[in-house]
Amino acid sequence: MTAIALNNLAKSYGRKQILHNLHLSVPAGEFMVVFGLPASGKSVLVRLLTGLEAPDQGNIFLRGTDVTRLSPGERNIGYVPQSFALYPHFTVYQNIAYPLHLARVPKPEVEPEVQRVAGLLGIQSLLDRKPDQLSGGQKQRVAIARGLIKRTDLYVLDDPLVGLDFKLRERLIDDLKRTQAMLNVTFVYTTSDAVESLMLASQIAVLDGGEIIESGSPETLYRSPQHTRTLQSVAFPQANLIDGTLSTQGNRQIIETPAFRAGFSGQPNGPTPQVQIGVRPEQIRIGTAPGRLTCQARVLLREDLGGEEILYLDAQGVQLTTVLRSDDQTQQHVDIDQSVTISMQPQQLIVFQQGRRIGVCTGSE
Amino acid sequence: MQPSRTRTTVYYSLLWLVALLFFLPVFWILMASFKTPDDILAVPPRFLFQPTVDNIVSMLTRPNTIPYFINSLFLSILSVTLALAVSFLAAYTLSRYKFRATNFLMFLILSTRMVPAAALVVPIFQMYNAFQWRNQFGVLMLYTMFSIPFSLWILKGFIDGVSQRYDETGFVNGASRLHVMFRVVLPQVRPGLIAAFIFNLIFVWNEFLLNFILGGPGTQMIPYALAVGLTDSGGNVDWAFVASLSTGYVLLPTLMIFFFQKYLLVGMTFGTVRGEV
Repeated sequence: MTAIALNNLAKSYGRKQILHNLHLSVPAGEFMVVFGLPASGKSVLVRLLTGLEAPDQGNIFLRGTDVTRLSPGERNIGYVPQSFALYPHFTVYQNIAYPLHLARVPKPEVEPEVQRVAGLLGIQSLLDRKPDQLSGGQKQRVAIARGLIKRTDLYVLDDPLVGLDFKLRERLIDDLKRTQAMLNVTFVYTTSDAVESLMLASQIAVLDGGEIIESGSPETLYRSPQHTRTLQSVAFPQANLIDGTLSTQGNRQIIETPAFRAGFSGQPNGPTPQVQIGVRPEQIRIGTAPGRLTCQARVLLREDLGGEEILYLDAQGVQLTTVLRSDDQTQQHVDIDQSVTISMQPQQLIVFQQGRRIGVCTGSE
Repeated sequence: MQPSRTRTTVYYSLLWLVALLFFLPVFWILMASFKTPDDILAVPPRFLFQPTVDNIVSMLTRPNTIPYFINSLFLSILSVTLALAVSFLAAYTLSRYKFRATNFLMFLILSTRMVPAAALVVPIFQMYNAFQWRNQFGVLMLYTMFSIPFSLWILKGFIDGVSQRYDETGFVNGASRLHVMFRVVLPQVRPGLIAAFIFNLIFVWNEFLLNFILGGPGTQMIPYALAVGLTDSGGNVDWAFVASLSTGYVLLPTLMIFFFQKYLLVGMTFGTVRGEV
């Protein structure tokens, strides 16, 4: 069953178009992460979905019914807003119980529900406190608990982990994932953090320039993105893009870059010869092996992160970033300004033309 | 830099000196209300005297004194309460429904309070005569109207400070607009309500000119009583009466300011400086 279907949504504020031509379908039971860079329209999408604002155009279907004209309260969505929005005049208990209170759930049924959700998020000991006595992470847990207590099958979480410290985020990511799986409900979760998306999602939808440019499982999106925007944004550190020229020599298609020449397999979508080759930092290795694309590069900068190091390279004018695992014995040690041989697996190099994927590289030419 | 001890002492001595200087006339009036008429005007002033409650008793037994107090209490408390109710609804609307000329509208509403009472009193007198509003209802409405601008400004400042995310969280969970206004927003702006209440209560309590011109038996307040009872039949200032009535008169504002002084600053800055409230 489809939990959410967004059909050709558009929304503008004044002359500024925020969303347009937006289509998205979320099957029931998925953990759908809507990933988008800051100011890409995620929050507006959440506002349309929850009904806080009406779209200028298009329809919103929840559980198969058109809810475009329904008020927020009629949509039966569990909601975790971006800024916790915990009511300062309520205790934690009252805050969590609030959605049940509004739904006129009888008092004796509220208590066990609150205890259950509080247990889920490990905040039973905080129930008597007021929000201003909580730390940021505790507030966030309370906000999530308040969102999850609602008796529904659809929850919207608007970037709930933004601004929390790294450790806490990791813990909450685990909690959220576990909770969603346990309740077997649909989550729509927005974030601008690539790592968070990859860790949480069963499906990622990439929101860029006001529309969903592609969606799919984290693996698919990471390994074979259809857009340079996806490659670049769903990444840490930043993915490499190498400019090249596509030409036909005999019956073979060749891509020439300042760093290397490679064969091409795929279908160009236009006559322009300019293409870009996308390669993830961890796919570039120091040293070479048979069958790999090889080129020479100079080390510009080295960042040691403890477990791994990031190298910034210059390969005949092409700036590349690569990540090496520090404990990888097969990798040779490198220093700044040293010349090194680097290599890549040609099939992992994705070729884009005008921002869209047209094929992959085949091998050295 | 930590201010030195001497410096602090000097500053505080100066502050105390100025405060006591300003308090002196008040102190004189307070003392006078417990002195016999002879003691009041004695030269040199008598600091040690046999206190008496005769002035207060005679002030309270004058036929109209108690009604003046009742009028003052009734008009000030009721008008400010009404003004708060209206202002809260208006402030919520102006804060949440963003409308192009909101700031100008706010300015227009406040501008009604920029005109000095002396300039307003004649047109209002004529209008009130024409409408036959020179009764309790009319005066009540007048003070309500005069209390709205400041209350609106203070409350709008406070409601603007309550994130709309609170409202929205309520809506998504099925709350009505009224629920959000009264259960979500109202409890969060309580300091603003108190500030607006105190601030306007003191204004209405102290209002004299309009009350003097428009007032009747049901609406004359203590300042009016002070003005008309100032002199005795011989034309001399009746200090015993003035002092004892003044003492009773300043009691309410003094208590309010003492207990709610932190809110007063909020009122004077229209809620833009919220300090610790």
